[in-house]
Amino acid sequence: MSKTHTRREVLGHAARGTALAGLGGLTGLLWLKANATFAWSINAQRCINSRLGAVGVDVCERCSTECVLALSAVRAVNEFKSCGRCYVCPAYFKITSAVGPDGLPTEKVCPRDAIKREAIGWIDPDDPANNFYDYTIDETLCNGCGRCVLECKEPAGLGSIRLEVRHDTCLDCNRCAIAQACPEDAFDRPEPA
Amino acid sequence: MKYQPAHTIGGRGSAPDQFARALRGVALDGAGRLYAVGDSAVKVFDADDALARQWPTDRPGECVAVDRSGRVWVGEREQVEIFDSQGGLTDTWRDPGQLGLVTAIGFAGSDVFLADATARWVRRYDQGGRLLNNIGDRHRKGGFHIPNGVVDFAVDDEGILHVANPGMHRVERYSPDGTLLGRFGRFDGRDPEGFPGCCNPTNLTVDDQGRVIVSEKAGPRVKVYDPEGQLLEVVADDVFDPTAKNMDLVVDSRGRIFVADTATLEIRVFEPTGSEATA
Amino acid sequence: MPRCASLGTVLPRVAGPGLLLVLVLFGVSGPAAAQEHVEYERPVDVAPTEDTIGEGYVTPEVQRPRPRAAAWQIADVVLLAAALGVAAWLAIWRRQRGWLVALTTACLLYFGFYREGCVCPIGSTQNVAVALVDHTYAVPHYVIALFVLPLVAALFFGRVFCAGVCPLGAIQELMVLKPVEVPRRLDKALGWLKWVYLGTALYYAVLPAIERDFVICRFDPFVGLFRFTGAAWLLMVGGAFLVVGIFVGRPYCRWLCPYGALLSAFSRYAWRPFSITPSRELDCGLCQSACPYGAIEERRAVRTSCFACGRCYRSCPVHHAETPESVVPAAELAGRPPEAAP
Repeated sequence: MSKTHTRREVLGHAARGTALAGLGGLTGLLWLKANATFAWSINAQRCINSRLGAVGVDVCERCSTECVLALSAVRAVNEFKSCGRCYVCPAYFKITSAVGPDGLPTEKVCPRDAIKREAIGWIDPDDPANNFYDYTIDETLCNGCGRCVLECKEPAGLGSIRLEVRHDTCLDCNRCAIAQACPEDAFDRPEPA
Repeated sequence: MKYQPAHTIGGRGSAPDQFARALRGVALDGAGRLYAVGDSAVKVFDADDALARQWPTDRPGECVAVDRSGRVWVGEREQVEIFDSQGGLTDTWRDPGQLGLVTAIGFAGSDVFLADATARWVRRYDQGGRLLNNIGDRHRKGGFHIPNGVVDFAVDDEGILHVANPGMHRVERYSPDGTLLGRFGRFDGRDPEGFPGCCNPTNLTVDDQGRVIVSEKAGPRVKVYDPEGQLLEVVADDVFDPTAKNMDLVVDSRGRIFVADTATLEIRVFEPTGSEATA
Repeated sequence: MPRCASLGTVLPRVAGPGLLLVLVLFGVSGPAAAQEHVEYERPVDVAPTEDTIGEGYVTPEVQRPRPRAAAWQIADVVLLAAALGVAAWLAIWRRQRGWLVALTTACLLYFGFYREGCVCPIGSTQNVAVALVDHTYAVPHYVIALFVLPLVAALFFGRVFCAGVCPLGAIQELMVLKPVEVPRRLDKALGWLKWVYLGTALYYAVLPAIERDFVICRFDPFVGLFRFTGAAWLLMVGGAFLVVGIFVGRPYCRWLCPYGALLSAFSRYAWRPFSITPSRELDCGLCQSACPYGAIEERRAVRTSCFACGRCYRSCPVHHAETPESVVPAAELAGRPPEAAP
């Protein structure tokens, strides 16, 4: 390096080096406390649709209406392990609707018909009440309105359905529109322990 | 026959005649005394609803029954405790690996029936505690379908078992050897004749005329059916805490219905009104 | 028996307040929620098991929230880094506007309309600030990368992020059709606004969690346009920015962008910033009137405010020639000898 450096160049190098070191230090500091699990989620103990004891309340549909995405990033999820596989599922059927000739309610709860009902195991050809049924939620149809969650809640159901945020579609907005609108503060980004 | 809510016994609280955390089962003895279990205790109320005595149980009581000789049977998790009428423990039945959560007890002749909510069927024992047979175990669903978590049954004067099968919205009748004799009930969320929701009726009892009195959850309701399964009366549908479920009930010789409200921990008494009341 | 009875009555009395104390100590869910919380006992496992259902039934997998789509995050970071590199190469080595416009359009489509403007380096400033003051707040790795990469690029090449990567800049860049010159003093004065905005945003971000607000995201005028949805008044503000932007080049970037404030500070010490040099350009001053951002002073690019859009090169007679190296013929073409010529 035979080239001579001007005073200005040297100062420039120094400033750049300092800034780079500062950025590096900042990155290192943040990297150590970074946590990839930091994301929006729904606290089922707070959500009015799933909170035990909140009986006779109206459904809160803000998770489906407030999200900035055309189809909300929130989905209803059925925890099969705790699903009672009922013949007449109150989250599938509108149980107060008129009974049809097959002995089942004629209307469904889901406004988008996103829940599939299917008899499982050995199937009794004569007595449909004698079967267990799986209730599977179609992720492409569900918009997280929470009606089924409310209907599945104890004591009417077993509370096997809850709302969850789908992180592959959630934009992770700092100002999440659902969180702003949630009346129960159930939509939050839990801080890592 | 109409019913009206008469009064309540117990309630949530720490007084001796109240329940702190739970009220699970009620029963009557021949003298009309009311037995209630909940917290780990049996409480006995005499005819004027005053607490006559109470004694602790080994585990939280799930159900209670009084046999003809006045012994008090308390169903618990994996065991049954048998007390004399004064509360002295005379025996404890266990059937390791077999008997699970006992949610109802009944007697007929020399038989003792225990509802096992873990296995989801009713077990028939002799007086010595020997298992004779199971009732409902041949069900295609492997037992009674009980998303509500309890099996409840009642034995009528002829020794026939009436078992609630809430997941199928039915009341089923069995002979002591486990033969299905008949059934009634269907789903209906509007017509009170039917059983609403996912799983009703949750509990039932039978009176001396063979009428079946059932309780439902979500919303809590008590109804009376005749022996053929025709709805006679809706006893009450708006007095219970909306979160109450698995409300045990019992009927006395005067037709009064005692219902355990599992949310407020009160025993609600319903009295028949009108001329038929004395029948 | 009396002893047992009294024990039975004393225990709940102790247990009640004890439980309450524990709840309050751990702040489980606040007093209101604790009151409403109802315990439901599940005496037995009531859900049918695979054995009960039979016929080889297998309990379906519950669809868990998939891990945050790591592929997307890595793709974003890689694409951001690549776009920064390409922008620097095009602006500083190739000195071509055409490809810069193509890059700008591509980044607008991807980061703007496809990824819907989130997460962006501008907003990440707030997350980084919160992470620094709130020890309970964690910031994901990729947000750190998004925040740091454009700043590092600025230390080497100036505001290349603004040149062709930032979707907010890109949507305005493509709207500059009939730029008018903003008086220099007014331009400079308005330029201080972005520091005020940055300070305000940082102030609201570092407030305690309960009062915290992400001002930059809240008042982002363009994100609603990317998503075709949003508060009506914000959409109108975004539209107004674009309309004004037809005549006044990139108003948000020049005067409001809080991240632009950081970038301009960092680009002050850039190693090889965007430049207009006598050896490679014709030192004629035509570029000065071509720059819609007032970022050329005394025939030289002002590194702190230059968005490296490349309009100056397009206006430069030298770069009209097929071979940029042949300075002299190009100079002759312009009818004016270069200063370096004898």
